Amino acid sequence: MRWFYKVPLRLRSLLREGRVEEELSDELRFHLERMIQERVARGLAPEEARYAALRELGGMEQIKEECRDMRQVHFIDNFLQDLRYGLRQLRRSPGITTVAVLSLALGIGANTAIFSLLNAVLLRDLPVQDPERLVLLGTARSGGSEEEFAATDLYSYSFYRELRQKNQVFSEVSALLSLTLGGMHGAVDSSPSLEKMDVQLVSGTYFPMLGVTPVLGRAFTETEDEPAGGHPVAVISYAWWKRRFGRDPSVAGRTVTLGSTVYTIIGVAPPEFFGTNVGQSPDLWIPLSMEKQVSPGWNGLDNKWFESLYILARLKPGVTLAQAQANVNLLARQIWHEYAGPVLTREQQQKLERAFIKLTPASRGLSRLRFEFSLPLQILMAVVGLVLLIACANIANLLLARATTRQREIAVRMAIGAGRSRLIRQMLTESLLMALGGGALGVLFASWASHALLAMVSAGSEPLPLNVAPDARVLAFTFLVSLATAVLFGTVPALRTTRVHLSPALKDGRGAVSMAARGGLAKALIVSQVALSLVLLIGAGLFLRSLVKLAHVDTGFNAQNVLIFAIDPVDVGYKEDARLVNLYQQIEQRVGAQPGVKAASVSFFTFNQGEWSDWVVVEGRRPNPENEQDVNHNVVGPDYFAAMGIPLVLGRVFDAHDTATSPKVAVINETMARRYFPVGSPVGRRFGLGNDPKHSSDFEVVGVVKDAKYESLRERPWPAAYYPYTQRPGYYYNLEVRYTGDPRAIIAEVRSAAAGVDRSLPVAYQNTLAQQVDRSLASQTLIARLSAFFGLLAVFLACIGIYGLMAYAVTRRTNEIGVRMALGAGRSKVLWMVLRESLTLVALGLAVGLPVALAAGRLVASILFGLSPADPLSLAGAALLLFAFALTASYLPALRASRVDPMVALRYE
Amino acid sequence: MGKPTDLVQGTLDLLILKTVALEPMHGWGIAQRIRQVSHEVLQVNQGALYPALHRLEQSGWIKAKWGESDNNRRAKYYALTAAGRKYLEHEQANWQRLSTAIGLVLETS
Repeated sequence: MRWFYKVPLRLRSLLREGRVEEELSDELRFHLERMIQERVARGLAPEEARYAALRELGGMEQIKEECRDMRQVHFIDNFLQDLRYGLRQLRRSPGITTVAVLSLALGIGANTAIFSLLNAVLLRDLPVQDPERLVLLGTARSGGSEEEFAATDLYSYSFYRELRQKNQVFSEVSALLSLTLGGMHGAVDSSPSLEKMDVQLVSGTYFPMLGVTPVLGRAFTETEDEPAGGHPVAVISYAWWKRRFGRDPSVAGRTVTLGSTVYTIIGVAPPEFFGTNVGQSPDLWIPLSMEKQVSPGWNGLDNKWFESLYILARLKPGVTLAQAQANVNLLARQIWHEYAGPVLTREQQQKLERAFIKLTPASRGLSRLRFEFSLPLQILMAVVGLVLLIACANIANLLLARATTRQREIAVRMAIGAGRSRLIRQMLTESLLMALGGGALGVLFASWASHALLAMVSAGSEPLPLNVAPDARVLAFTFLVSLATAVLFGTVPALRTTRVHLSPALKDGRGAVSMAARGGLAKALIVSQVALSLVLLIGAGLFLRSLVKLAHVDTGFNAQNVLIFAIDPVDVGYKEDARLVNLYQQIEQRVGAQPGVKAASVSFFTFNQGEWSDWVVVEGRRPNPENEQDVNHNVVGPDYFAAMGIPLVLGRVFDAHDTATSPKVAVINETMARRYFPVGSPVGRRFGLGNDPKHSSDFEVVGVVKDAKYESLRERPWPAAYYPYTQRPGYYYNLEVRYTGDPRAIIAEVRSAAAGVDRSLPVAYQNTLAQQVDRSLASQTLIARLSAFFGLLAVFLACIGIYGLMAYAVTRRTNEIGVRMALGAGRSKVLWMVLRESLTLVALGLAVGLPVALAAGRLVASILFGLSPADPLSLAGAALLLFAFALTASYLPALRASRVDPMVALRYE
Repeated sequence: MGKPTDLVQGTLDLLILKTVALEPMHGWGIAQRIRQVSHEVLQVNQGALYPALHRLEQSGWIKAKWGESDNNRRAKYYALTAAGRKYLEHEQANWQRLSTAIGLVLETS
């Protein structure tokens, strides 16, 4: 219960200081009076008694000070005093303060911005109940659908149902389709026009398992998982509710029509809930049991091998990840075995033995972004960290320079009894003020910069739905960084400044000894700045050169003058049959006939849009390592190769003779021709999908085309096969159009031509093929641009440092220079003398920085393309650039030194 | 320190606590009482008394209140808190043990 007395006393000492002081005086005065009384009673004269008492009491002020110390709030008092004094000092040198605070704002802001993004992509927990108990089956590295035995990242619907029923380790299990169905088109209420909406299919257990409660209405539950197609309901996102429905409070009950199914809105998700895929935000969540209605082409609910779901589960209390993993793998083997039938093939047996489901903690949700941006963001974090270090070095130098001018003040304060530790504390308070000022401005700067960053990450399309607003973690980060910078740039100057030799300092305000020390320290700071800048510049060089190399990769197609449109036949009720094929053909014909359009084709994929890969089996050839690998597949129209600009090498491309009833044909690329048909012409040969020899004569090769990139610019030449959509009816969403002339006119033409075929068909212009290629380089571009920007910023800061140091040195040595010149030193000799001094520092910095850069280069080797971390051009380029900048920075002071007039300089003394 | 009447810190705390345990007292009174009870052996140095009083107060062992003194002057009276009473018992027992121990050593050797 002591705090009951202690807390009010401390508060009183702080807040009612005057009153407390008065009481202290009263108390001691009372004591003194009693002493005097006592002495008077003993017979002393009042005056004499008073003196005697005072003598015995000792120093009244000393006792008071000791009593004050007992209050234990002295340090707060001192701190407030330091704060007031610090503010006054900062106001007194507005130039230095502004430069320091602004460069800190830039440095801290850049760190905060990158950290915000890092936080959003890599660190932040999902806004759900107990996110740390969520686990994901597998790693979610693949997305899409697989039909493979014992796949461990994606699962079928029936697998999910069985796992949910039989496991003993999860309190709840949910499944979600691994693709957000972006770009679906539906009608709100009975509106005649279709609008774009993103749909996520999830099991009924999804919302209850996450513990996400709608802000309005209800979420669907387990009961909506059955029967298939029986529950046309939807939960909508808060953002969509706001955007599309203007926060209509009676939105529950309104409807959305997708295809031929009318869904009733039953609830609105809370504003912070974007779903479980970081970087995607569906507008609607619909029960998985509606899969057939949402995507009629799929048979995911019945087909045990249609592996297209992620499984997300919540661990039972007390169950560890390892226990859960053991149970899940045991169950999975049973389930797979059961699906495969009583007798397994040897291959199935092997796969079953090898299959292992890794449980991944899913507290931060799933994210494809994470795979792409994890390393780049970490690299950028390191880059901005280094930039901040360089900025700190500059400020330290600035403070050292100012310390010289403050030497006299410090000496006076020490002479009248200020303790060194108190002075250091006071100077650190000043640094802290600057750092916190910089930090506060930095947060403002970051809130702008992180949105700019987000736009760069999103690479041209709409910004990714990531929440980069600073949260508590980001603010804590910024605060800690500010504190750290204050310590970094403030400590050494504070220590140096207070190491004063009193008498010389008091005499002329300059301590001779500390000047020499400052020189050495300042030089060391410059050397480290140059070294760090070199590391950053070399990094920037490597990333830029990788980007250039990637941009010059031969894609195999001609990315210029191609527009890509998205068509959506699903949502206007087409089935995967002849009518759909007819629609594609009509569109291709009408669009192809437009003036300015050279070729138009519908296709499954263009570039960097996902993949369909599968094994192939070649007629009359045994599998060997050469041809026992996945082949990329695509389904295209006859004009695809013309539209994409992929040249034909051999045979023919598809034409009007390839119909649903004609022999099945395929066009392959050169790599496939080389690996699978090494002997003789591949034209006329046959192959099939999968690895069952009985399918090996399904397709006849009619042509060979040049290799073209499929998923990314980095991929090696890879076998690929193309099939005509006439023989493989299905939903294909891409329409690519090669054109000449004004693209805006073409876009309008294509829309009206498509409308001429089917007025209801949604046709949306997406982007050009060239933009699509650029987008596939988003992370590479981000890192190259930012590292170049920060590299140059670092060099700029280092040069300011060099300039400052040399200019200062020249001013201080004016006298000496004057003497040298009077004794006959020529201007060029003086110029060289000053230049030599700074260039020695730069050379030292380069020598230190180079090995560091080489070591750091190994960490980023995986994202370089076509060059090694020790790329000589990047190394030499960076060193030369840095040297040139440094030369310019030191040339100005050197020039001034060489123009010193000896007479003026000598009189200066 | 050094003068024979100076008291080591812990001892002074103990004396003060014991003295105010009887009734609330002001600083002057405490010093007088200690002197009288110890037959003028223990002279409390005023320069040590007040910091000690303030420390004990800030630690919550004693509490202070302003009141009228016997000659009608305002004075600061210190009294023991509940926590202080326990602390005193504890410290007093410690002291007892310590002095007995020292006595034993001095008598036997």
